[in-house]
Amino acid sequence: MNKLKFPFRSRLVLAICLGIAAPHGAHAQQGSIELKNVAEIEVETKDGQGKIERKRQPVAKAIPGTEVFYTTTFKNVGNKPAGNIVINNPVPSNTTLVAGSVYGSNMEVTYSLDGKNFNAPDKLKVKDKDGKEVTATAADYTAIRWAYKGDLAVGKVETAGFRSVIK
Amino acid sequence: MRCVDLRKVLHSFPAICCFALAALVSPRVFAGVPAGTVISNTVTLNYSVGGVPAAVNSNTASFVVGELINLSLTLQASAPVSVNSPDVGRAITVLLTNTGNGSEAFGLTRNNTLAGDQFDPANAAAGAFFLENGLQPGFQASGPNADTLYLPGVNDPVLAADETRVIHVVSDIPAGIALGGLGNIGITANSLTPGASGALPGTGLPGAGTGGVIAVVGGSRATATVVGSYIVSGFAVTVSKSVLQVKDPRGGNLIMPGSVISYRVVVTVVGVGTANNLAFSDPLPAETTFVAGSIKVNGAARTDALDTDNADYTPATRTVSARFGNTPSPATQTIDFQVIVN
Repeated sequence: MNKLKFPFRSRLVLAICLGIAAPHGAHAQQGSIELKNVAEIEVETKDGQGKIERKRQPVAKAIPGTEVFYTTTFKNVGNKPAGNIVINNPVPSNTTLVAGSVYGSNMEVTYSLDGKNFNAPDKLKVKDKDGKEVTATAADYTAIRWAYKGDLAVGKVETAGFRSVIK
Repeated sequence: MRCVDLRKVLHSFPAICCFALAALVSPRVFAGVPAGTVISNTVTLNYSVGGVPAAVNSNTASFVVGELINLSLTLQASAPVSVNSPDVGRAITVLLTNTGNGSEAFGLTRNNTLAGDQFDPANAAAGAFFLENGLQPGFQASGPNADTLYLPGVNDPVLAADETRVIHVVSDIPAGIALGGLGNIGITANSLTPGASGALPGTGLPGAGTGGVIAVVGGSRATATVVGSYIVSGFAVTVSKSVLQVKDPRGGNLIMPGSVISYRVVVTVVGVGTANNLAFSDPLPAETTFVAGSIKVNGAARTDALDTDNADYTPATRTVSARFGNTPSPATQTIDFQVIVN
């Protein structure tokens, strides 16, 4: 097998290139995960009888006050079960997480106030305007973490998501 | 004879206006994320297969924040503006606020012929609208601090998100209107984005927003109207100053060094209304010296010191002052004091 040798500078450039390419499968290997993220809004339409129907559609533009539905879909496209699955999703900047909107079956959900340290809602504290420590609310969260319980079987698809409102 | 300094009397009204204006302007509106902002989201997923850790990032879901067109218009005084009949250049002041999230130009119109009142105010000969220039609170028709005449299509106010602009709606009042007569005008501000004003909330205007993003008409329907009122009250504050008596050192009434001059100042409030913080001040002529203990208000003696009574003499400025607080009409206040000719 031929070995390619790169001078240090070239190796550095290559590493950077690989780093950029990594998100979509450089680490996927066999048993890798396919990950999809969708942002949608809900729109009302009228059918022929004037009945109002609500349906979601991908969002390209929206105004302040709009609620955005974020859905993460992950699928085991490999040939072995995948374990230790942890999903990290920052609450998009300029939006506020909607209380009670986070979902994901068979997952433990924790939240973060700084994007680094995650914990259960009752353990997250902030200070109110009087300096008194109080339990944080959804509006204080900056990131969400889902920890999937057990392995994701080959071919299995799961979803997780939340809603946030544009400030 | 020197004229009475009316500045303190007249300044009492703008002072009240300023306070009210500040109270109304101070709250911020927080129109939301600025139009054109890109909101992105990328998910990271860590996992392992056969004990080998791995990670994958999702696609980035992004969208652009459009411009929400919204505005508000509020009267800056809750009561009708007191005027005479006839009268000229009387202002009703409103505050225009861009409650949307992008820069927006607004047009101003008025309707002088509303039903249900006793007279129709006319557009002031000087101009129907003036834009406050911030140099001096209140409407200034002329002078170094004169506000800016509004010319539709030429200097339409363009307000950034959350920005406010004070606007003076200026009218002339016709003659022959009885006391108590009310004249209403409809004052309207509307977005100048084509297709926005009056459109249903939620109407989308592709490409019409700040920076070419979509514009969406907000709950205000991109227009706002308030009704301002004038009331003929005949309200006025007048001041007259006269010499009651001159006593010269020889027992006569000639003005010469040593003569004592007795002044009388009469402040009168007439018409319907209240003169808030009514005050009077009179700097003495340089050729005279104040006679200590000579101040009287409505015949009652006052001390010279600045104390709990409502009149005083300030040596540093050589000024006689009196304060009457909020003074309902009708009212007359008489101030007497003496000086000696140097």
